[in-house]
Amino acid sequence: MKKSNSQFTRCDGVSRRGIMRIGGLTALGLGMGDLLQSQRLCAEQPSASSVNPKSKRCILIWLDGGPSHLETFDLKANAPSEVRGPLRAISTKLPGVQISECLPETAKILDKFAIIRSMTSPLGEHNFGTHYLMTGYKPTPVLEYPTFGGVLAHLRTNSGVLPPHIAIPQFRVGGGNLSGGGYLPAQSRPFSVGGDPSKPNFEVRDLELAQGFDLTRLDRRRRYVQQLDKFRQLAGENGTGNTDLDRAVQLITSSDARDAFNLKDEPQKVRRSYGSKTVGQSCLLARRLIERGVSFVTVNQRGWDTHNDLYTRLKEGFTGAKKPVGLIPSLDLALSGLVNDLDERGLLDETLVVVMGEFGRTPKLNTQGGRDHWPRVFSVALAGGGIQKGQVIGASDSTGESPADRPVTPGDLAATIYMLLGIDTKLELKTADGRPVRLTHAESNVVQELVG
Amino acid sequence: MLRLTIFLILLSVFAPSSYAGEAAAVDFDTDIVPVLTKSGCNSGACHGAAAGRGEFHLSLYGSNPAFDYDSIVHRFKGRRVNLVDPENSLLLLKPTESLIHGGGARIELDDPAFNLLTAWIAKGAQRLQQRKLKSFEISPSHQVFESVGDKVTLQATAIFSNEDERTVTRWTVLTPEDDTAVQIDSETGEATVLRSGRHVVIARYLDRVVPIVFIVPLQARSIDFVDGPRTNFIDDHVYDLLATLKIPASPGADDATFLRRITLNLTGRLPAPRVALAFLDDKRTNKRQLLIDELLNSEEFNDYWTYEFAKLLRIRSQPLDKIGARTYHRWLREQIASATPYDEIAEDLLTSIGDSHTNGPANFYRTVGGPRALAEFVSELFLGSRLRCANCHDHPLDHWKQDDYHGLAAIFADVKAGRVVSIQSGGEVIHPRTGIAAVKRIPGERFLNDDAQGRESLAEWITTQHNPYFAKAIVNRLWKNMMGRGLIEPTDDLRSTNPATHPQLLEALAEDFIKHDYNLRHTLRTIANSAAYSRSEKSLPENATDDRFYSHSIVRPLEPEVLADAIADVTGVAMQFGEEPAGTRAITLFDPKISSPELDILGRCLREESCESQSTGTAGLPVLLHLLNGKLLNERIQSPESRLSRKIKENVSSEKIIREFYLLALSRLPTEGEQQFWAKEFGSIQEKQRVDLLQDFVWAMLTSQEFVTNH
Repeated sequence: MKKSNSQFTRCDGVSRRGIMRIGGLTALGLGMGDLLQSQRLCAEQPSASSVNPKSKRCILIWLDGGPSHLETFDLKANAPSEVRGPLRAISTKLPGVQISECLPETAKILDKFAIIRSMTSPLGEHNFGTHYLMTGYKPTPVLEYPTFGGVLAHLRTNSGVLPPHIAIPQFRVGGGNLSGGGYLPAQSRPFSVGGDPSKPNFEVRDLELAQGFDLTRLDRRRRYVQQLDKFRQLAGENGTGNTDLDRAVQLITSSDARDAFNLKDEPQKVRRSYGSKTVGQSCLLARRLIERGVSFVTVNQRGWDTHNDLYTRLKEGFTGAKKPVGLIPSLDLALSGLVNDLDERGLLDETLVVVMGEFGRTPKLNTQGGRDHWPRVFSVALAGGGIQKGQVIGASDSTGESPADRPVTPGDLAATIYMLLGIDTKLELKTADGRPVRLTHAESNVVQELVG
Repeated sequence: MLRLTIFLILLSVFAPSSYAGEAAAVDFDTDIVPVLTKSGCNSGACHGAAAGRGEFHLSLYGSNPAFDYDSIVHRFKGRRVNLVDPENSLLLLKPTESLIHGGGARIELDDPAFNLLTAWIAKGAQRLQQRKLKSFEISPSHQVFESVGDKVTLQATAIFSNEDERTVTRWTVLTPEDDTAVQIDSETGEATVLRSGRHVVIARYLDRVVPIVFIVPLQARSIDFVDGPRTNFIDDHVYDLLATLKIPASPGADDATFLRRITLNLTGRLPAPRVALAFLDDKRTNKRQLLIDELLNSEEFNDYWTYEFAKLLRIRSQPLDKIGARTYHRWLREQIASATPYDEIAEDLLTSIGDSHTNGPANFYRTVGGPRALAEFVSELFLGSRLRCANCHDHPLDHWKQDDYHGLAAIFADVKAGRVVSIQSGGEVIHPRTGIAAVKRIPGERFLNDDAQGRESLAEWITTQHNPYFAKAIVNRLWKNMMGRGLIEPTDDLRSTNPATHPQLLEALAEDFIKHDYNLRHTLRTIANSAAYSRSEKSLPENATDDRFYSHSIVRPLEPEVLADAIADVTGVAMQFGEEPAGTRAITLFDPKISSPELDILGRCLREESCESQSTGTAGLPVLLHLLNGKLLNERIQSPESRLSRKIKENVSSEKIIREFYLLALSRLPTEGEQQFWAKEFGSIQEKQRVDLLQDFVWAMLTSQEFVTNH
């Protein structure tokens, strides 16, 4: 196997398919909905909520594969070497709080962040963990729950023509079982931009009108498809029409939409401040998108499943690198660049930035110089969005094995994120067959320290 | 041990009377383990995790009582049980939260779990091993309710090896698959149904897992299907469940819909316009039956079903080696064309070795790397079973043990799979629990101690007519292909705790398949001739939300390769696939790596992993952007060589062109309403504009739901 490939290959060989599948089942689950209800239901979704929104939108930096808490935000400088690992801890703007030597830029502005070091989950498989972290619900065989982005896309009225939920470069997370929209209508799924924003020729494929083609014809095509679909209405469409087609036409026809993806508009200085890697330029694009009214952007940084040689993969990037360009230094530039840029533009207070993956890594290094899956304790970082910043919430024990204090479940985190985004955590959403499902699990509790 | 003995002596003197008053001795394996399971102690999230939790480690769901006994009684210096003062045992202080417990309060003071544990410790915390579980039953295991809100009390009965029969409802874990559909009182076993439909509850007691099915009708009005069309046993079973659920069936599909559906299902193509017109005109009453037979005997059938099985077998080229895949694919097509019984195909695959460039089925062992991956592949393919969980622990939802997994893998340990697939003795698979080489084993059956012919024995067991999975796994897949949904979903996850929607129908199909010598065409024919297959896709208000009981036909997207071929056929412009000869059809490609931007856009399966679970159509917006602006449709419609350009050049009228494309793409003629619509659109336009309109019409037709789905 080629080396460059291996970092995207799942350790357990279950990529794109879980042990128990969740994606293929409809919201009907194993039963059937109340028919009388289902006719009314889809229409009456609550539009807003009673809680004051602290943040209007959210950028999720997803560290796909499970980032090591012990090499990022929860270092154990005094632990034995097999626990401590190869990276040093450095001081930060927050007195007494240390993070990884590979996060120097983030360390300088750590007072703008809150870190939870006592995240805990029982799910150590990629698809399961991803489902839990991104939806706040443990996966079940009956129902795929919607991710934060899916919910936001569903509830917020979109200001502009851009899709409300966008993934950069794409939404292949946790092995690929998650659609993002869960039981919500297909329009809640993320739009994947497809290309790599760090490449000089980056563009969203097929956004430009085909040659010799004009808007009249574009509109005519749309009208004809609508007409054909109406002539022969197939089951399950409810006459809502082809929303993907409507969206595609809107995207193509709006120059604003196309401008949003044009990174060449950004001054070189700004581009450089995010770092030249995919994750950095993806964060820059994320900022451009939220400025134009997109509610939720997932920046997907892949490769964190570091079962072997984590020193090279996390720090150096390649063996013997003079300047470290691995996953953490790339994240450092992207994250600090994004938070500083949002702050300078006055957008940070209303933009929630969340940095997390599906679980942490084992306290002891394995024989291949890597760490395996470890969901029992791990860390999550948040910034902006009106959070109570400059604090560390919870702690892991001396070896980073279990929460020592104030365990926070992914369900609690989900409730907190929804609360910050101004969405009532008790809100009931409806599945396609009209079944009400609570936005967050009844046992989830908002992390009050974060909300203030 | 000495210490324990002393305690025992002491106990007999000092034991408080309340404990001594408990009748029979408490058996660890059959009395205590269920308490641990019921209280959640040994779940995967708690002490049953692979590494235990808080230094206390139990086997997952009590699958290994000896290990659990050791953990509780001996480990941690024996401090988990206090024989002198049982109530002060850690085993009780923790779950009652008398001491801080990460898992919270699991047991109440003085509840039956508490009393049983206390009694067991008071009597000396012995393992005893008095009895083994012989059988376990739940009553009722299948219940039809009248309406939402109805209740039933489940009763669990265990019969032990010493003929002791007990009610163990209190110690049985009852878990609804959907807890918003069924509510269960965990102490009494009283279940309340909260929603209509069909619901499954899983009961777990010791090493048994048993499914319970609840059915709640969708409405009060009875429905009978006495007069409904019936052709064979399939209809009896499908109607039975519809009647129970009180879901009405949609009427039969019209001839045009049926023709398109069956032609796509059996040959992966659209019917030719000439065939369509002839079929619509045909007045014979048995014309559908004749058509089915004709399609089953066509070369197109062989192409399409080779494609279906190539996906199942994941036929693809190896790095720098295309010849093997080509040979494999050619062999597979020969088997399909000559109607080789499916059991023989399976046997060939499992036993063939030699040069994969000349011996097609020898490529089977090159599909995945390593004995463990082969064990998983073989069980998913031929048994429809996922053994994967049993790699690390006994399967929590099935009866597969770790021994089964590693024993099956051991059968493949000697296989060396390079270009030449050979058997080289000395290979072994280390059993993670014992740390030594696993013994070859027919999963769930027997160890093959001295059996050098492991693969032959395995092949024999898999293909024997008594194998409980082999026939079911394949007929379930054939059913899914024809009907749009498997009787069991996912199709590679057959297990007792994932029951079929129609269990007897699946049995009957499997029996019928075996009786007809594992003939794939026979089963496809039986399904195709059923009234259930030929129902309209149009739903009635009362069956609109049904997506699994076959009250109407299920609309499904065309597979990427089938869609690509259909686009090429309708536009008249073929696609070029890598360096394959011009005119090659997408479904006949032997390798999904052959370059094709069209197939990449449409989302073909690369066969690196199973193709069965891949969701299709998730990439909606990017695909539509490409259809609008990219080459796939635009070039094919505008090309001077295209069917449309030729018709325009030949001065064919718009009306005729429209009619022809309806026939080509949708296998039907435009309705009156449609004719009027297009007549109006094309009414008063210039010749130059006419070309644009026609192009847009063809584009829209190829993007419409009616075209991109089988319905």
